[in-house]
Order: sequence, then structure tokens, then C-alpha cells
Amino acid sequence: MSNAIETRAVQRRMNKAFEIRDLALNVPSGSIYGFLGPNGSGKTTTIRLLLGLLRSSQGSIALLGRSVPADMPHILARTGFVPERPHLYAGLTIGEAVRYHSAFYSAWDAERAESLRRQFRLDPSQRVGRLSKGETGKLLVLLALAQNPDLLVLDEPTDGLDPVVRRDVLSALLDYVSQCGATVFISSHLVHELERFCDWVGVMDDGRLVAEMPMGTFKNGIKRLRVLDGPAVVDDAPFTLLAREPSDGVSAGEIWVVRDWQASMSQYFERVGASLREVVDLDLEEGFVELLRTFRSPNA
Amino acid sequence: MFSEVDPRSPTPLYDQIASRIRIAIAAGDLVPGRSLPSVRHLASRLRVNPATVVQAYRALAADGFVEMRQGSGTFVCEVGTGRKESERSAQARQLVRGLLSEAARRGLSAGDVAAAFRAELGSEVE
Repeated sequence: MSNAIETRAVQRRMNKAFEIRDLALNVPSGSIYGFLGPNGSGKTTTIRLLLGLLRSSQGSIALLGRSVPADMPHILARTGFVPERPHLYAGLTIGEAVRYHSAFYSAWDAERAESLRRQFRLDPSQRVGRLSKGETGKLLVLLALAQNPDLLVLDEPTDGLDPVVRRDVLSALLDYVSQCGATVFISSHLVHELERFCDWVGVMDDGRLVAEMPMGTFKNGIKRLRVLDGPAVVDDAPFTLLAREPSDGVSAGEIWVVRDWQASMSQYFERVGASLREVVDLDLEEGFVELLRTFRSPNA
Repeated sequence: MFSEVDPRSPTPLYDQIASRIRIAIAAGDLVPGRSLPSVRHLASRLRVNPATVVQAYRALAADGFVEMRQGSGTFVCEVGTGRKESERSAQARQLVRGLLSEAARRGLSAGDVAAAFRAELGSEVE
């Protein structure tokens, strides 16, 4: 499978305290890729590097098989971008903003723009500068989808929007993907939102990509176990032990957080004379928190 | 039956969608020959990946609950009474299994749950 986004060994120092280091992203074509990370982990900086808004000091970046920044005009013609902060002229009306944008894209779909405008209940005569946060969010998504992109890059597209607007925006996005099969690269710190529809996840922390895998793998491999009489030292376990905590005081036994878990591994506990009482699936948010915690611990 | 799915549940999303449709067919809410929503429509409505809806429809087709016709959509099949009954009991048992493991987590025994069941059902009958 080819990658819609591929970066190799990308570096960029932003200031003394923060840099993007050795970034190797692989976003498969046709995937919906969730780009997760806490605030300040480098998600927006990475997106700016991908779109040529910032130059990397080392490494290579390719979007849709073309290289950044050399082939930028080709790439931008086929890439829809929803930035974290709006980049629209406040004095234009919605109708004018749509017409203005349409002039830049040869694949512009005026019919889709109009149908989304109605679906989002945006008034074409209203000034962009006077729109609410929700209306601005919808307009940005409309503009990105109407250019008929093969790749959509969305930087926190629903941040700060109310649940109703969020739902409208995501429905429109998924409708477009079902219809056109575009690749979506979406950054968010709203983990639950991504859990519904992403099939790949990448996790950033402190300027580094600390994990990248299919969503199914990410969600399946991380479990919370309740263990009675666990061995003092765990050195030959078939899974990776991420954390080990004393009992929560409600039920007996230690809590182990593990990764790369498979059901057959319960035999391990019999072998070491312990007993496995419970295996709990962690959802994406819990898995994400545990992943960051182990990554940040000094002995990891 | 095409209402919310729960992304936090350990049951995969495709499985949640397929189960709801299966039980609707077993209960007779979806009659043979009726078409299911298009993949595009359902993905957008549930805000899930279109591939997840396709996976749910494929699982239903593999069980003989629906038929996917190239280009025209996905249609409910005729399902025998025996199949309907076994689907209903399979789903009921799945619910009970979930309930029992939740009860165990809270330190309740199977006996406690059974007694509660009898009490609840008894009051319902009266």
C-alpha cells in the first residue's frame, strides 16, 4: 500500500526548549489517521511542516507521492486543509469567501459547496468576521471539502465547537470520505472523537512520534489486569508490563497495565504461581494515557 | 436500531452495528426484502469509518442475514424461525454474560444476581 503522507528523519528546532525530532510518519492512502498528542506535543508544528508552511532543517517529506516543498503547487491543489486558526478575510461575506476560494482550485465542486452550505445552515450574505466559532468551523470544513481533495489535513477541526456542530462537521467529513475515498489526517486531543472512525493512530509527545499503528492493534493490545500473588520480579513475561500498581482498595490483587496482550498469555500467570482474576479492555483514551505515562517514565 | 454506537465498549463497532441489525431481523422489525441504509449514509449518521459499516454488512451477509447486491445495496434475507430464535437467545446470553462479569467486579455472586432476577421478574409478572 502506498502512503499519502510519508516523512523520514524530519528535524526542526523551534526554540531552545522544543524541537521536532526524527519524525517518521506513514499515513496509508485511504486511511483515516488520528494524530494524537497532548497540547504542545508538536501536532500543529508537524502539520505546518507537512504543508510547507514551515521548512524542516533535515529529512524528507512526501505528500501524495510528491515531495515537499519542491512540488508544493501540485500537492496543495489536491490537499484540503482545515487550520487550527481561521485564515479567512473578515470583510468577505460567506458567499464571497466561497467564490474567492473556488478560484484557486481547478477541481472545485460548486454543487457540493452549495449543498454543504445549506446543510450547515450558513447564510451567504453574512460577513465572515461576524460568524460564531461554530459557523466558522463549518465554513472551513465546507471550503476544504468543496475543493474535492484526495488528502484532507485537519488541525483540531472540532476544538471548541459545541457537540451539535461537532456532529454536523464530522458527519459531513465522513460522508465525503465514503463517497470519494480520500485520505484523512486529523489531529485532536479529543481522543474519544477519533476512536469512532480512525483506522490508524499516531501519537506525539514532546516533539517525537512515540507510536504509530492500526487502531485495532492499539486498542486490543493494551489491557488492565488484576493479578493475585504476582511475582516480585517480572522478567520473562510474553507481554510488556507498562505499569504495576497496588490494589485499588475495592477488589483484591494488584493492577497491571500491559501491552501486546493475547488471551493465551494467561498461562504465564499459572507458570509463575500467580492468578489472573480479570482482564479489562482499555479504551483509546486510557490506552493513550498509559502509553504516555510509560514513555515518560525514566526507566522506559 | 441505527442509533448510537459506543466507541468505548470493548465490543468492536462493526460488531455492535451487526448485532443490532441481527436482533432487528430476528424480532421481525426488519422484514425480508427491505434495504439497509447505504454505507455512506450510515457511516455519516453514526460518524464511523465507512469501512466499519462495510465490515458489519459483510459479517451479516456471511451469516445469511442480508444479501449485498453489487450496485444496488444491501437487503434483508428470509431467515428461518429456528435461526431467529437462536439469535435471540444468543443475544440474551451475551447480555447476561456482561451482567455477570460486571457483578463479579463488584463482588456479587451468581446467586445474588439470580435472586435479583427472580425478584425483578416476579414483580413484573404481578
